[in-house]
Amino acid sequence: MNVAANKIVSETAEPEKSALIALAVIAKDGFKNAADVVEFPIYWILIDKNEETIDSSILKQALAEVLADSLLENLWSSFGGQRQEWQTVFKAAGFGFYAERQFLPGVTDNLARTVEEALHLKGVPPSIKVASGRGFLFKKKQSAEEGMYKFFHPLADRFKIHDLAEGEIKFLQFPAVHLPEVKEPEIISLDLNDQELVELSKNRLLALNLAEMQAIKKHYQGLNKWPTDVELEVIAQTWSEHCKHKIFSAKISYRDKEKKTTIDSLYKTYIQGPTYELMKKRDDLLSVFEDNSGVIRWTEEQGVCFKVETHNSPSALEPYGGALTGILGVNRDVLGTGLGARPIFNTDVFCFAYPSESLAKRPKLLPAETIIKGVRKGVQDGGNKSGIPTVNGAVVFHPGYRAKPLVFCGTGGILPLTVAGKSGVEKHTKIQDRIVVVGGRVGKDGIHGATFSSEALHEGSPVSAVQIGDPFTQKRVSDFVLEARDRGLITGITDNGAGGLSSSIGEMARITNGATLILDNVPLKYPGLSDYEIVISESQERMSISTDRPEELLALAKKFNVEACDLGEFEKHGYFKILRSGKTVAMLDLQFLHKGAPRLELEAEWQGPASLPEKIGAENSSYKTMLLALLSHPNVCSRESVIRQYDHEVQGGSVVKPLMGRNQKAACDAAVIKPILDRPEGLVVANGLCPQLSKYDARLMAQCAVDEAVRNAVCVGANPKSLVLLDNFCWTDPVFTDKNPEGKFKLAQLVRACQGLADSVYAYGTPLISGKDSMKNDFDDGVVRLSIPPTLLVSAMGKIDDAAQVVTMEFKNPGDLIYIVSAASLGFAGSLVADIAGWDSANVPEIDPQEAALLYEQTHEAIKAGLVQSAHDLSDGGLGVALAECCIGSELGARLQAEKISTAAAACIPDSNVLAAELKKRLDFALFAEGPARLLVSVKPENKAAWEQIMQGISCVQIGSVESSAALVFTSAEDKVLFSVELAEMLGAWETLLPFAEEES
Amino acid sequence: MKRRPKAAVLYGDGINCHNETVHGLALAGFDAELLHTTDLMANSARLSSVQLLAMPGGFSFADEIASGKVLALKLKDKLKNTFYDFVDKGNLVIGICNGFQILVQMGLLPDSNPTAARAVSLCHNSHGRFMNKWVELEVDKKNQSGFFLGLQSIHLPVRHGEGRLVLSPELTSTAVETVKKQSPLRYRQDINGSYDRIAGLLNQKGNVLGLMPHPEAFVRWEQHPAGHKVNRGEEPHGLSILKNAAAMVNQG
Repeated sequence: MNVAANKIVSETAEPEKSALIALAVIAKDGFKNAADVVEFPIYWILIDKNEETIDSSILKQALAEVLADSLLENLWSSFGGQRQEWQTVFKAAGFGFYAERQFLPGVTDNLARTVEEALHLKGVPPSIKVASGRGFLFKKKQSAEEGMYKFFHPLADRFKIHDLAEGEIKFLQFPAVHLPEVKEPEIISLDLNDQELVELSKNRLLALNLAEMQAIKKHYQGLNKWPTDVELEVIAQTWSEHCKHKIFSAKISYRDKEKKTTIDSLYKTYIQGPTYELMKKRDDLLSVFEDNSGVIRWTEEQGVCFKVETHNSPSALEPYGGALTGILGVNRDVLGTGLGARPIFNTDVFCFAYPSESLAKRPKLLPAETIIKGVRKGVQDGGNKSGIPTVNGAVVFHPGYRAKPLVFCGTGGILPLTVAGKSGVEKHTKIQDRIVVVGGRVGKDGIHGATFSSEALHEGSPVSAVQIGDPFTQKRVSDFVLEARDRGLITGITDNGAGGLSSSIGEMARITNGATLILDNVPLKYPGLSDYEIVISESQERMSISTDRPEELLALAKKFNVEACDLGEFEKHGYFKILRSGKTVAMLDLQFLHKGAPRLELEAEWQGPASLPEKIGAENSSYKTMLLALLSHPNVCSRESVIRQYDHEVQGGSVVKPLMGRNQKAACDAAVIKPILDRPEGLVVANGLCPQLSKYDARLMAQCAVDEAVRNAVCVGANPKSLVLLDNFCWTDPVFTDKNPEGKFKLAQLVRACQGLADSVYAYGTPLISGKDSMKNDFDDGVVRLSIPPTLLVSAMGKIDDAAQVVTMEFKNPGDLIYIVSAASLGFAGSLVADIAGWDSANVPEIDPQEAALLYEQTHEAIKAGLVQSAHDLSDGGLGVALAECCIGSELGARLQAEKISTAAAACIPDSNVLAAELKKRLDFALFAEGPARLLVSVKPENKAAWEQIMQGISCVQIGSVESSAALVFTSAEDKVLFSVELAEMLGAWETLLPFAEEES
Repeated sequence: MKRRPKAAVLYGDGINCHNETVHGLALAGFDAELLHTTDLMANSARLSSVQLLAMPGGFSFADEIASGKVLALKLKDKLKNTFYDFVDKGNLVIGICNGFQILVQMGLLPDSNPTAARAVSLCHNSHGRFMNKWVELEVDKKNQSGFFLGLQSIHLPVRHGEGRLVLSPELTSTAVETVKKQSPLRYRQDINGSYDRIAGLLNQKGNVLGLMPHPEAFVRWEQHPAGHKVNRGEEPHGLSILKNAAAMVNQG
């Protein structure tokens, strides 16, 4: 073949350097009967003519084969990218406007990367560059403008609407990255006064406070030099709130009304303290607080680990990318635990503002619905494409999350306790081990992610914070790491998350007390990155590995089609040393880097619980209307539209899924999977959070969150003695400043939440094995300041010895007896019924964790004895909602005696409640009031005596029975029907659509 | 004692149901081993020692461009003849979900004949969404496929976004009838807009099976969403399919 004759020439904007081809994939039936809006894939192909001569017939054939389905689609190609011929066809088909969307230069384009790999497989040289996008045709101008609102994500995309009537359209060109020449590292003089130091921190997005800047200045004064920008950036990243948890380790002077105490680190006192104490009684905690996730023993040979992360700030800016990178990030935490763990489940909890909420003229705040849809899609791609089941989760709405959405991403994993004769739970990095980094290339993405998440969102929040994940590359990395681990090629491993190489190598260097990192070998996405950017970039999908067999490791990487590079060595010289072109660009004293940050000293003040007026309306006897309103409330209604889009069964271990029962509508309280398919044990995952209680008392909020997580886990059959917990604090800035005058109160809320958490952890015997905090969940643009309600997510993991013994929440058989068991008190405060009715009350429920713990132990005894047919946790919407859910899940009905329900509720009203006398008589209180530590259980009639025997000493009241008729019926003492609700009505209300059912685009 | 038939389960490049497929095949009586795509490409003789090749579910190449497309491209160019030889010899191939998509993209279904033009595609579900749900399926009574021997109405989960079977507009009515005839499994209800509610396809010889639902996800009763409600005397339906495959190998 005559290559020269087929060479692509000159049809390009810059004909000397490169050739552009624009492509569109159009359905074969074209635009016949086309809708008002038509969408299709478009591509830009860039050929660097200096590098390659490409045979155009090979290229054309490869493009057609790769990009179009020959059965159903045609590939339109426009060499030179002029596309005038398209314009003619579009117009002739009756369209008035054509819009193009492409990624901004440098934004991760997974589709394009796949196309490049596919073209390469077809013999096209690898120098060819691809960009992907979407084309949209609109008949009317109005639909084009609406389309722009719907399809355009300004932080990640370019979007251009062309009027097809115009003569010469300027189509979008290839989104190439153009960066200025790389600058040599600068020396940053710190010969500055205090104000100038603060300015420097702000201007460089270091997020360091004055005391920290002063400490750096002093350190370098002692060395008789000033830091390089690389050094300063590494210190800022290492000392960021995100990485260092400065508030949790601060020295706090706490005033509780008149009493003053000093708390020497919340973390040591309330998080580590109880766990270390409980470790004396439990021998299954193998690694807590040390590694990327907490590890417990599962069998003699295997351990399981669990970690939950937040990705709030990124999700606020670019919801899809934020959620996706959140999931992939926590997956890497698991992959980087011990010598490598295999992810076995995801659990995700979202806190959003109500979909209808909007806040005008705040361009940085995306509409709530946009955030919801983007996050949902990100979680779908993150879990499904990685082959990790999303087994459980929660969606909570509260107006306060307008400030920032909370996106909690949790992942569990399994790892061998012994690898090549050594502990698989620990790292064994040695002096002279090589540093090998595998996975994605480094670009500008995520620069300053660690420091940025340590600040409130504002108008100027950096665009480089936008990241899109690449689950495919990570899946390949994951397959590779697990194989490398089993072959004994890994001596230590950690992930590259916030802070990139700076964090991963800076941390691993502590094991041997030194590391030398050579930047020349770091694979880059494009040229033009400065040294500090390479070091702190948070480009995704990378793992840092220490190895004493680098050649074998690199060879294995080839098999798994992942890029791996040797970037230096672990040493004992006491420094984190960074070289480029043989020059030292950073020489950081590890002692100073990790121990040199000045400790924060903070003040907290607690004035007692908020005194709210008692604003409880009179009893409204239209119970049915209220029940249906509660069932359709966004915090209660069906999550099916979300759940179905997540693969929750991959890996084959699924036992209790999010939706169970014959009709697959029983919304389960917790998930159960089998981590090892041919063994009987089931692993239980559950979550609890109660942000609606924060405004009363953060201590109660924390205790109820622990209770909810434990309660949910026990409901499906977890042994309460096997449970371990994770804490995830998302707070509003608790550091007092002029701009944040409530700082002392917010810190007091944090103190009380920690105290409540610790008390419950002791009482339930459930150690905390890992956790995370995100302390700056505020929005502030100088005019409006918004804050989230202080939120503690508690995640629980536990064991059921025989997964065949699981219990699900739906009723099972007509005739079964229904019981309500409880160990705490009830109230309207923070309840959903109060929210709907516009009531308020300071009469919060109370909980005695010791009693609750007893309730769970005895319930578990009954489950183990096979006495429990169904068990469901009572939470949002109280007993009424729980009963309805048990009917919906089973397509059965129930007959309940109102008097017994009232009696059970009356026993749960604390004497402190000023309305006690009135509430005791109210059926709406019995039906809809809320409180922790309550379960709804059904039991076969023949097991009545055995069940009641086990539950002795616990409040356990039989309130009715399961019926075959499809209705929830409430009767008087004389068995007269007071009111009833048909199953179809309840189902109709419950299946209210949340804005999750988005079509794929 | 009879020797256990051997199976290779493909993995790598984004396939993610390989471990449970190995587990399911082992329960069904196979000696099942993982086989990485790179190893298969480097040494296609790896197939000569097995009687069944499983292409499990997953997201090969992240489903970019179209599900199964890029992995099919990768395998096809180098291994097309290897595959045809393997099938010609009467060995079994089972493609589940993404594996089914790959088989269709490679042109191994519904015709595993190197000269046949592609007749079908698997496209985005008509509702546009990924869906994980257990569904009821009907086994075609007229189709005498060994894979479904003894089964009539079965439960299995589907977990896909692109499972809608679309026929080439150029097929003759005879060819359409052939596709229908080679469809051993249909959704009881239309769940994704698939042509004729088709959930799986066989080749003419009946030794290549592609299906969207996941048999490996129903090899124990506790995997079923109402496991406690259904007759546990019955064998889990996914396990039956895999056991049938083992029987087909043993009968030669």
